[in-house]
Amino acid sequence: MFTELNVFKLANAMATHAGARQALVSQNIANADTPGYHAKDIKPFSEVFGDDFQPSEMRASRNMHLNGSSGRGMNWTVSTSEDGSDPNNNSVSIETEILKGVEVKRQHDKALAIYKSSMNILRASLGRG
Amino acid sequence: MSDFSNSLAVSASGLKAQATRLRHVSENISNADTPGYRRKMVPFEAVRDMHTNVEVVKVGRVLLDRSALDKVYDPSHPLANESGHYEGSNVDLMLEIADAREAQRSYEANLKMFDQTRQMSASLMELLRR
Repeated sequence: MFTELNVFKLANAMATHAGARQALVSQNIANADTPGYHAKDIKPFSEVFGDDFQPSEMRASRNMHLNGSSGRGMNWTVSTSEDGSDPNNNSVSIETEILKGVEVKRQHDKALAIYKSSMNILRASLGRG
Repeated sequence: MSDFSNSLAVSASGLKAQATRLRHVSENISNADTPGYRRKMVPFEAVRDMHTNVEVVKVGRVLLDRSALDKVYDPSHPLANESGHYEGSNVDLMLEIADAREAQRSYEANLKMFDQTRQMSASLMELLRR
């Protein structure tokens, strides 16, 4: 049962996704007044993770990973939004980015809570709870 | 570098750029009545960092506003010409205040993101403690 700890992998992927998205949100906010800059984003975790998930299989979260080029990886491509641009050709809305930031924070907290709780179960099963 | 350190770096670059902008805005405001002063404009540029592949903000070369200087009528002024006018500055206070407000708003947003990233990495580190 404990040879494949999928819950940890899942929590790990979720937290990594939140981290990557947070970096993009920060980048968007920092460039909120840069002329010609377009807001960047990656897909939400539910879409990235997809429904063709095989629990026994390791997922590649980056192209650099071993099975990253075999086409079974998660889709972490960065998309650029072109809509709603300001007169200086900038498409960042600070409000949207702040909301996205809150979403990311909640997702990260959730992933860490899952990780911590699973860890507690493991500890309890080892009798060290 | 991890996503968190990238995020902190890009937020810090945003804070720095907005602070520079605010400094130039206050220079403009304090020189609003200096004869012959041209208002300074701060261009922002997105610069891709080669190592981390994130686009940080950089302040480019400060430009001077080339629009015509304000003509002020004051015959007793030492700089006044035959018609009694002298050249003031081309600073529009309304524009400067609006610019300052925008800079402040962006600064706060960057600061919020910085703080949030810090909290997220702190709670990640918390996992190591029992």
